[in-house]
Amino acid sequence: MTNKSKVTLAIENFVRVANIVSNLDKILQEAKNLSLTAKNARVVALRAGDSAYGFKPITNFIDEFSELTIKTTKNISLLSSNLFAIALAVVRYSEFQQRLNTAFEITNHRDIAQLQHQGNIDLLRTMKQLESAITHLESYFEDILKQMRSAEYIAVTSRVEASNAGEFSESLQSVSNFITSAAKKIKQAINDNLKEMHLIRGALR
Amino acid sequence: MKSTEIYSSATHSWIVLGRDSQKSESIIDTNQYLIKSADEAIILDPGGIELFSPMLASLLKHVKLENITALFASHQDPDIISSLGLWDKAVPHATLYAPWLWEGFIRHFGIDNIHYQPIKDEGGEVKIAKATLKFIPAHYLHSSGNFNVYDPKAKILMSGDIGAALEKGEPPMFVEDFASHIKYMEYFHRRWMPSNRAKNNWISRVRELEVDMMAPQHGRIFKGDMVHEFLEWFARLDVGSACE
Repeated sequence: MTNKSKVTLAIENFVRVANIVSNLDKILQEAKNLSLTAKNARVVALRAGDSAYGFKPITNFIDEFSELTIKTTKNISLLSSNLFAIALAVVRYSEFQQRLNTAFEITNHRDIAQLQHQGNIDLLRTMKQLESAITHLESYFEDILKQMRSAEYIAVTSRVEASNAGEFSESLQSVSNFITSAAKKIKQAINDNLKEMHLIRGALR
Repeated sequence: MKSTEIYSSATHSWIVLGRDSQKSESIIDTNQYLIKSADEAIILDPGGIELFSPMLASLLKHVKLENITALFASHQDPDIISSLGLWDKAVPHATLYAPWLWEGFIRHFGIDNIHYQPIKDEGGEVKIAKATLKFIPAHYLHSSGNFNVYDPKAKILMSGDIGAALEKGEPPMFVEDFASHIKYMEYFHRRWMPSNRAKNNWISRVRELEVDMMAPQHGRIFKGDMVHEFLEWFARLDVGSACE
């Protein structure tokens, strides 16, 4: 692998990090919508009274996992600025190496060789930091995926309960549909991120 | 990249680095200056990212890396200091002297290790081992926060973009015939320099200095009478041409 391609790979990884961070916004937005939906559903369930008795605990569940998803996503957002800084450091060290290699071709001076050696150590260190940050992120995404699996389960249960809610059946049915759709969007965003992370990991190796 | 010693004394020496034959035609040619004294050295206007490799290779013929203790940026332009992020890794313990006005902007080039020492509007000075260098204000010529470097012992004024000439190929190091050199400078000065007031203020202050050599960041160096001729020509020149 040439050093030029290392710079290119580092820049591509930087763009992938940007995609990951951009997807985080989508996840956070959907989680916030879920939380709002839970609050609305609770009001509808209260108005429906006994006919929506089984729906009340479901609204609590929706609220719980949406809050959890918001919290996890916010934790990820804190990590993401660090991820950007590390990815940028990898770009800069890769470029430094590339420029040093050109300088060494002009004059194979001992000082340049030493800089190349130190630069390589720094580059490897930042690449390891990036890999470790990616692994850390991955565990958060796995958590959200679990929460979304619960969401899908709840959507199925809530659809059954909604069908027993008489005149409120339609509104509660739309709540169930919304949960399914939000969970699907969040899972899609996470899967996109996991793919990007897989590519970053491949490039780092 | 060529390097030429333009001054040498018992205390310090000046070397100009430039005229890189490998440089892409699409980027402007620049002069970088190295001043070394005992075991310390400063690079004046270290140049752009594209020049980092040949600059580093060329510098090491004259100075040890660990002896580069300071950098100076006359202003914020990319051909002056966009290599900062790379120097930041090559000479992490160095100090960068640059206009206070541009600190928040120059830091965009990447500075994690080098210490940024802001230069106040009124200027200042720095000692590089046995050499004392003065930062002479040259604001609005062309940048709004801009300095020259004056060496009272060597009587050299590193004038940044003032005196710059856009000449293709590899021109000689010194101006030989002032009249024929004007065509390479006129458009640059009329277009890049925005203020006649700033220009006249600078000329009056520089006339009070003893200047044997005026060393710009682009093109040939003015020596002896050529310095006086430049000041006379510049005084007559109407600048800020884009507003006409």
